[in-house]
Amino acid sequence: MKLLIYALLLIKNSLEETNEILAGCDTSDKNLQIIAIDKIGAIVGNFEGDLIADKAKAIEFAKEIEVLSNQFTLLPVRFGSLMVSTEAILDLLNKNSKEIQNNLLHVENRYEFGLKVMCDSSALKSSLVENSGLVVNSSHAKNLENPNSVYRNWLEDKLKEHRLEELVLNYVDTVIKEITEAIEILGATAKFKKMVSEKTIIDAVFLLAKDQKNEMVDTIIQFQKKYINLMFILTGPWPPYNFVELTLK
Amino acid sequence: MSDDKILFNSGSLEEFSDEMWKMSESEESKLKLGPDNADSGLAKLVLTLVELIRKLVEKQAMRRVDGGSLSDDEIERLGETLMKLEMKMEELKKHFNLTDRDLNISLGPLGDLM
Repeated sequence: MKLLIYALLLIKNSLEETNEILAGCDTSDKNLQIIAIDKIGAIVGNFEGDLIADKAKAIEFAKEIEVLSNQFTLLPVRFGSLMVSTEAILDLLNKNSKEIQNNLLHVENRYEFGLKVMCDSSALKSSLVENSGLVVNSSHAKNLENPNSVYRNWLEDKLKEHRLEELVLNYVDTVIKEITEAIEILGATAKFKKMVSEKTIIDAVFLLAKDQKNEMVDTIIQFQKKYINLMFILTGPWPPYNFVELTLK
Repeated sequence: MSDDKILFNSGSLEEFSDEMWKMSESEESKLKLGPDNADSGLAKLVLTLVELIRKLVEKQAMRRVDGGSLSDDEIERLGETLMKLEMKMEELKKHFNLTDRDLNISLGPLGDLM
């Protein structure tokens, strides 16, 4: 029988007490247990047979981690992390104890929240052009001596696209800057991806103290009021999936 | 994702879920190289790099045109070169049965390449 690792955690109380709390989380009868050295432990479950990495199993695994994250501050481990024995897990914890501890301290008592900012791309572009007064149609590419040049006309169209793109990017940067300033007040750490798709202009994750959830929601509501042409979607709380910076040795 | 995980949503849930679905589909654009598809996988990889460089060159050229530092003759030649490059790229994509989406490979946590 192999052991499937769900998460890594700091053991604040005694191992017996922590195991008791864990028993209450084990709703799906996976025989969850903690294997620990000092104050660092791995939550593992028994695993028999071959691991099939399908979507349903990955979701089931994520659900279990979510239940656990309501009870413990933990570092979720990627689905499919199988170890052959307790000794192998102890060895892993031993070799990586410092990095694990640093990561756990970073996410201690904090949850992850996700923010997606979406828009109607063409409506946003039109409104940006209108408000900026940008002259998209006139450019240095135009040749008054030869206005029908195919190449110049092509370049002119490309230049329009390029200017629009820059305009949207500047706008997105402004929104990101404002969000960053607002959430810094809440003591949150953030990671942003911009222009994930034509519609999703910002895809962000925040690491925030558990008791700041309502303040986070209020902050996003204020942004929605300010940016009526954008759509803000805040999700969470999640285990800190995007804030684990750990490569296990 | 269960509804209780959505703390604030100013749009419709359907719109959100459609977008999430599209984004999860883009996960499919990860580069898959294996013994059975070495030819097409390699073509995809090479064309992805070519397209990335072409787009970078195009962007830099646009900045220079926008800066107003190029002569009429230079602009004419630049337009011709970039247009032909784009047309050649379209031909190659067609030849290898690839779309723009195929060439925008997913870099996992870093997002998409382009």
